[in-house]
Amino acid sequence: MKITILKRKKELKYGAVIASLLSILFGITIYLVIIGLFGVNLVEAINILGKSFISPTIMKDFLIIYVMGCGLLLSFKASLWNIGGEGQFYIAMIPGIVITLLLFNPETSSTTVPAFIVVLLVIITGSVVGAVWAAVAGTLKAFMNIDEVPVTLILNYIAYYLVNHLVSGPLKGKKTYGYLRTDEIPGIYRLNIILPITRTGNQFEEAVYSFLTQVSYYIALLVTAIAISVFTWWLFKYTKLGLYIKIMGSNPEYLYATGVNTKMLTLLIMALSGSIIGLSGSLYLLVEWGRIPYGIQSHTPGYGYLAILASWLSMLDHRLLPVSAYLVAGLRNTGLSIKIAGLGDTEQTLIILGSVLLGYSITRFIADYEVKIR
Amino acid sequence: MNTGTLRRVVLSINNISKTFPGGITAIEEINLDLYEGEIVALLGENGSGKSTLVKILYGVYTPDSGEIKILTGDKLSRVNFGNPVDAMKHGIILVNQTPQLIDKLSVAENIAITLSTLRSRDHSGFTSISETSKLLKEVSESTGIRVDPNEKAYNLTYSQKQFIELLRAIIVNAKIFLLDEALSYLPIAEKKRFYDILYSLKNSGKTVLLITHKIQEAFDLSDRIVILRKGRIVGVLETKNTTVDEVRRLMFGETNNKYIINNNWSNPEEEHVIEVEDLAVRDDHGREVLSNITFCVGKGEIAGIIGVAGSGQRELVESIVGLRKPIRGKITLAGVDVVRKGIKAVREAGVGYIPDQPLKQGIACDNSIVENIAIMFSSNPILINWDIVKEKAVEIVKNYNVQSKSIDSPVKTLSGGNIMKVIIGKELSYAKQALIACNPTRALDELSANNLVSVLKYKAHAEKLSVLIASEDIDEVLTISDAVYVLNSGRLIGPFQPSKVPRERIEELMVA
Repeated sequence: MKITILKRKKELKYGAVIASLLSILFGITIYLVIIGLFGVNLVEAINILGKSFISPTIMKDFLIIYVMGCGLLLSFKASLWNIGGEGQFYIAMIPGIVITLLLFNPETSSTTVPAFIVVLLVIITGSVVGAVWAAVAGTLKAFMNIDEVPVTLILNYIAYYLVNHLVSGPLKGKKTYGYLRTDEIPGIYRLNIILPITRTGNQFEEAVYSFLTQVSYYIALLVTAIAISVFTWWLFKYTKLGLYIKIMGSNPEYLYATGVNTKMLTLLIMALSGSIIGLSGSLYLLVEWGRIPYGIQSHTPGYGYLAILASWLSMLDHRLLPVSAYLVAGLRNTGLSIKIAGLGDTEQTLIILGSVLLGYSITRFIADYEVKIR
Repeated sequence: MNTGTLRRVVLSINNISKTFPGGITAIEEINLDLYEGEIVALLGENGSGKSTLVKILYGVYTPDSGEIKILTGDKLSRVNFGNPVDAMKHGIILVNQTPQLIDKLSVAENIAITLSTLRSRDHSGFTSISETSKLLKEVSESTGIRVDPNEKAYNLTYSQKQFIELLRAIIVNAKIFLLDEALSYLPIAEKKRFYDILYSLKNSGKTVLLITHKIQEAFDLSDRIVILRKGRIVGVLETKNTTVDEVRRLMFGETNNKYIINNNWSNPEEEHVIEVEDLAVRDDHGREVLSNITFCVGKGEIAGIIGVAGSGQRELVESIVGLRKPIRGKITLAGVDVVRKGIKAVREAGVGYIPDQPLKQGIACDNSIVENIAIMFSSNPILINWDIVKEKAVEIVKNYNVQSKSIDSPVKTLSGGNIMKVIIGKELSYAKQALIACNPTRALDELSANNLVSVLKYKAHAEKLSVLIASEDIDEVLTISDAVYVLNSGRLIGPFQPSKVPRERIEELMVA
């Protein structure tokens, strides 16, 4: 008897989608079995899991992970492994905090520059700083052939320490009641739309309202996510750069032989990837944080790494990225809910993530290959 | 067939079929018996399924259906190969067109790896270098091929490497030798020595399956000719009882009037499109492989540079298009100072390039045919007009007879010959001033190769395209060129007018 594995001649219909859904089911089942062995109430755990994936609070994480995932996907498709999303995300916040605090006079609560120009300036400078941060790794890769993986990873730590140094030094706030953090961005620059709290007594109506509240609060992130999504689609469908990125990922030597300057292209792709991530960083500052806290890396769930996971889970297919970003955001939400419910620590979500990835590997294998016993 | 009654079947292929992802059927219901002590030539046009069949026999691909039986003792036993080591253990070995030796290792080390791999499967231990050297010496004496077991593989010529591959096959005691275009680029003298060894293998009861697209080679060497067409066997012929025309008809389904090439030599114009002056170039190992190279190619002229493999052709064409920095010298191509401006300016000047390593520099196999074409035929610096590009892709696929399901198929789903046709098609369509090519007809069947020669001649003579072809194939260069140069040990000799210099003289200069 011999087991033979052959690639399927025809792709399974909806194979990728079915593989994703089955892998989630697989991951959750494994997770439940494990926590069940530790005596956790499974009914309660399932309830939390279910609610976490449909909770309106998933919105922020989903949008941030999705936008960053799009940025990473650009470089990953070119086989440029930008692992530095974390650093590019945080470093991009610095110009935002400097610009908003410099241009606003707290004594008179006024500014000479219109708010929308300041916001635009924050977003543009954030993107530029993110691009420059990623371009450092791009330059080393293009001109000295230094592997971008360790470089981008090291740049994450440099960004952590640099931002923390600035927050505890030159940018340390004056109205922070002794806390180590920057002053808060003036409200006129915040991009949230806050709906009033409404209680109707009807559970369904309240759920819909809660969802709308989240949407309006994070409307800037939503608009950006839609814009970046359209941009990514357009880039790969209609532009030369999109085609260059795809061919760079499969055969850069061919690209070079056709006359394309692959060194400059490497630099450009890394910068473009960093600029999208930088954009998400500056928006996070304007929409969510409003200030930069000290010990920056411990104040987020590590969006840079979660976005890598989402990007890989999508098999570098931008059409599947919303699904994988939602999945990753849902699991992050689950972790928080588990902790709040006292069923364990947030690290438990890592069990689900690991199991989902394992399940995904298995289901993708089954979707792509057939096993014959001869 | 009386052959079968006299000798035993050593390999029996029964109803073998293989379809690749994307629904491309490579071979269908192949039935073939190979006998001990015979040489069988497997012929077929590009994409006919020759390589797929060989890879199945060597355990690289698994067939979808059918069975392979091998003579074990006195009876045929069914085998399932999971990988090439399984095939080698059953006495089947493959010698490729490209030698598979590891350059940094010595000859003995290379062979010891193969022997140790086979023995580790049997748990019969490791093969030492001294033991391998001893075996090499024995085989070297019996075949008459002199080999230094301690010589590093990168110091060997192409021919020497091919002989080592053959010796390796003899040392592992192969019963069935699969030669996949293994003789294609050997110079005449070496080819004849190779023939002698194959005849002696045949006389000692070994079986040789020779895969080739050169009809003459099949006639020179084989006892039987098997012809594949569109994945099916369309003819099994006794070589002595058939004719070249019969074989061509079965291979291509066409008559022989398409094989005659119009040899009207052009009179190139005075204007030089390619000018090379005192060029010196290093190879990948840092050795100076070319020195004092000076020549020029006129507008509308086809210049051919012939040399045995490893003479520096690859380094020469890479320097001329700007992919390799020379040590010294001056190159002007289509008005571009190549050394200073590089490949980008060369391409922008309308120069086509068919590289020596087509899969490395000529195409992106993971991308579709149309994407590979789009990268060169999109004039807008930002956007791609897919309607225009698709039209171009359809035109290239049609004109160069690329056998593919669609222009959106990934290139990796095509056969080697069809991949070459895509490369040739796009580069010839792109070239407006000059075409620089290395071994352009390699991997092409006779009909496709002749079509290419005709197109090249038309482009040069009617459209005034300047063409430089570097090749290891003397027939290719003599057929196509207006002027011939010989490259030997990094020195360029010539030019010669092909009609005025005897072929033997060119061969002498190649190996002198």
